[in-house]
Amino acid sequence: MSMIIDANVQPHFRYNAEIRHYLSSAHKLRAIPDVEQQWYQAPRGDYRQDLYGDGYPGSDPETVARHLFDDGGVDYAILNPLTRGNIADYLLNSRICAAVNDWLVDRWLEPDATGRFRGTIRINPEDVKGSLAEIERLADHPKMVQVGVPLQSREPYGKPVFEPIWEAAAGHGLPVAVHVNGGNGVDYAPTFAGHAYTYPGYAAFMPLNSFVHLATLIIEGMFGRHPDLRFVFADGGYDLLTPLMWRLDTFWMSMRDQTPWVDRYPSEYLPNHVRYCTSALDGPTDASQAERWMDFTEKADLLMYGSSYPHWSTATPDAAVAGLNSGQREKVLWRNASDLYGVAAEVEGSLT
Amino acid sequence: MQRRPVCAIEDLPPGTMKLVEAGKFGVGVYNIDGSLYAIANYCSHEGAPLCAGYVRGTTEFAPEAPGQVRYVREGRVARCPWHNWEFDITSGVNLADPQKRVRTYEVDVSDGQVYLIA
Repeated sequence: MSMIIDANVQPHFRYNAEIRHYLSSAHKLRAIPDVEQQWYQAPRGDYRQDLYGDGYPGSDPETVARHLFDDGGVDYAILNPLTRGNIADYLLNSRICAAVNDWLVDRWLEPDATGRFRGTIRINPEDVKGSLAEIERLADHPKMVQVGVPLQSREPYGKPVFEPIWEAAAGHGLPVAVHVNGGNGVDYAPTFAGHAYTYPGYAAFMPLNSFVHLATLIIEGMFGRHPDLRFVFADGGYDLLTPLMWRLDTFWMSMRDQTPWVDRYPSEYLPNHVRYCTSALDGPTDASQAERWMDFTEKADLLMYGSSYPHWSTATPDAAVAGLNSGQREKVLWRNASDLYGVAAEVEGSLT
Repeated sequence: MQRRPVCAIEDLPPGTMKLVEAGKFGVGVYNIDGSLYAIANYCSHEGAPLCAGYVRGTTEFAPEAPGQVRYVREGRVARCPWHNWEFDITSGVNLADPQKRVRTYEVDVSDGQVYLIA
């Protein structure tokens, strides 16, 4: 059996104001950031040039289905929409998340004739109560397969303030996907050292932030306390994972007594708790080194194909697994995602 | 391997250590609460003089305790002076990774004299 699961697709509203159809009267006229309004923009726009047209790129379910399923050979696509970034009014932000979720169900998941779209419950972690309510509201929807949060956060996700959210997600068997969610909102600088000068610096180093979340989730004991908690880092950066985990493992050997609840090497938490999506920016630039690089710390078990469609850096399945051996390809293209999201069983009988 | 005299037992009271010249790096002989143990003076990490480090206890996870830690094994844990690796002196086992251990040696007492087999 072989198939392809695209674990990272960003559907968009047809136009910015469409979100207002899904907001209550109390919030309908509030100021809401438009997409593509942040400072760090790819030259000529964040999304594939050929997809700008009648509506926004990635906004028409039939077009997206044609591009991914018919042209790209993908069998399942996990939709993870953006929510306009963090904003200071965290209660409003939670309503924006709910509007995005209602839109995803209404426009993408329920009318989907292909049966191949799966969805993400977007929540705002700065509003813990609102996040819990939103997870409870939608967790039982049969096509919602994960919870989505921004990469940008004002505290690392290993902090105990977020624990009720992760506990709820794990309790419903939903992985938590972390994805860049840029807006003109309330964010820290994109790198630890401050602001990148131009977009390439931003795009290259922004995924490093995922490691701060990951390190705190391990060291502050979140994974230890919640054996069913899974995190997906959807912007890539898996190629940076190995040296950073080496550092974490090394420090743990010396300072284990400060965090005795970490009862194994930090890197040993990865197989049960962490997945990364592929990114066009990741990995060796020479494909002949990709196979060996992938074998370090058994990364082939951690990585899932994600196209980032309709982003300018959209990668085809072939490009994502260039240079890998057949076992690695199988894991990256579908097996890891199938195990995580539980879509294999449905497919087994219908596709070969 | 040979049986080497270390010192009189009254010169090695509980909580102390004697470093014995044996082999290339020496062996530390410890009295912990009246029982004698010996470990190589050579950290399994990068070869530091392990017996020159602190002898303390360590922490274990205790969810209900303040700070969520409990202090245990007082006087039984050698900490490497270079990178703080912890070893249980009574077994030579590293507390973080049991695969990494330091060598232990036999110690005995005869007619008030401590002997090390190393």
